[in-house]
Parts: sequence; C-alpha cells; structure tokens
Amino acid sequence: MGAETPVDDARPCILLLDGDVLSRHALAEYLRGCGYRVVEVTTSEELFAVLDHGTPMIDTILFDLDAPGSVNGFALRAMVRDAYPGIDLIAAGSTEKAAKEAANLCEEGPELTRPYDPQLVIARIRRMQARRDDEDG
Amino acid sequence: MDNVAMLDAHGPEARPVLVVEDDPLLRFMLCDLLRAEGLVVVEAANAEEALGVIAAGLDVEVVFTDVQMPGPFDGLELSRRLQASHPDIAVIVTSGHLDGSLVAVGIPFLPKPYVPTKAVGLILSVLERRRAHGG
Repeated sequence: MGAETPVDDARPCILLLDGDVLSRHALAEYLRGCGYRVVEVTTSEELFAVLDHGTPMIDTILFDLDAPGSVNGFALRAMVRDAYPGIDLIAAGSTEKAAKEAANLCEEGPELTRPYDPQLVIARIRRMQARRDDEDG
Repeated sequence: MDNVAMLDAHGPEARPVLVVEDDPLLRFMLCDLLRAEGLVVVEAANAEEALGVIAAGLDVEVVFTDVQMPGPFDGLELSRRLQASHPDIAVIVTSGHLDGSLVAVGIPFLPKPYVPTKAVGLILSVLERRRAHGG
C-alpha cells in the first residue's frame, strides 16, 4: 500500500466488522450521518490489521458475531479486550441488533440532530439484499 | 432528511464511486479522501462483493478496482463483466502486476503502489470527463 497514513480527523472512530457488503455499507453510512468516522472491515483478519496498524485510532468496535475470518466473534471479543482494553466493544448477532446498536451510538454521536429509526436501516438492507439475491438466483 | 434519504446521501444526482480493494487500510485511506471530496463511496473487499453491490441496485458511476484479490474472480474479470452488463459504469483498474496496456483498450490504469491522493485525482478526472460529456 501507499506510504501515507490516514488523514488526521478529530471525529470519534468506529471500526465496523460485517461480512455482508450491503449491511456494512448501510450501517456505515448511517453512523457517518451521525458524525462518526467509520472504518469498514470484512473479516477478523482485516479487523486486526487495522488495530495493529495503530491509525486511525479506534474508539469503538461494532462487530457481527458471525463475521467471516479465522477468529470467531467470541474469541475476537476476548482477544481485543486483552490487547486493546481501551476500545469499546459492541457485539451484534443479527442485522437488527447491529442497526439498534448503531442507533444507540447515534444517540451519543457528535452530530445527532434528530432521532434515527433503525427499522428504516434494516428495511433498506433487506431490500438491497433481496435485489442482489434475485440477480444471483 | 429521513433515514433512507440519509443512506442515499448527497442527493439523487450523486452516483456512488465503488472502491474494490482487499487491503483494508488502503481502502479506508482512499475512501476517506474520496468522501472528503464530497463523493458518495461504497467499499468492497473483493470482486464478488462489488458485483453484489451492483446487483443490489446501487447506481454506481465509477468502479475503482484492484486486480489481485481473494475470491472466485479478480478485478480484471470484474471489469470485463461490468463492461458487458453495465457499459455506463466507468472502470478504473489498479495493480502492481500489470503494465499500462489496459489504457490501449480504453481502461484507465493506475500502477501500484500509488499515493492515495493520486488515485483520488484520477477518479475525479474520470468523473469530470463523464460529466462534461453528459455521462
């Protein structure tokens, strides 16, 4: 990769692990809309690559317990707690739970101006997934 | 703006840029810079994810793709499939293992390793050319 490091940014940073590109994109945009900086990763390996790099500094990890990778969600939680005790960890076992946790983060977020309805995020994810599955099928 | 509009962000005229890159830090840096330019960006970690994004109906304007990535097919195959199925989508290819011969067949190419700001400049120039030609 290039020699540059991520640009400086004062926004709180969330590391989002989700193996489904559509869920991940929708949740990440939702969180960005609340003022967070979001790093998207698809596997446990990618998650640890970002953490081990050290920048950007991660404040919170929102992760799918069933995300792909060689480390399962429960082991991942233990490993992160051990190696990075200053990072908040939020586990989600479903899209619904992830959206609700994202909504909770938004309520604490730097730019909340109105309440967000996680059900709308879930509905959008479901619609996109259905279209994708129709094309694949 | 409701939640769904927020997810579509930046208004109906803003078509996303799809970045396909398996290095999470490089992907983040590039996408972060593109967002700082006001662009809507979708991130995919491999070619299969990228096709899933297109299949889901996201109206992507430009795909910036690496070539060698994990998965059943690579970035070159992705660009071939997109040219066949979505000729309106501009594709830019980056790789550390190809030369610029893609340029001869009309595909913009950026050799790796690259400085992310250079990739941003190339993506913006492709977008500007398309918009100047009403694309």
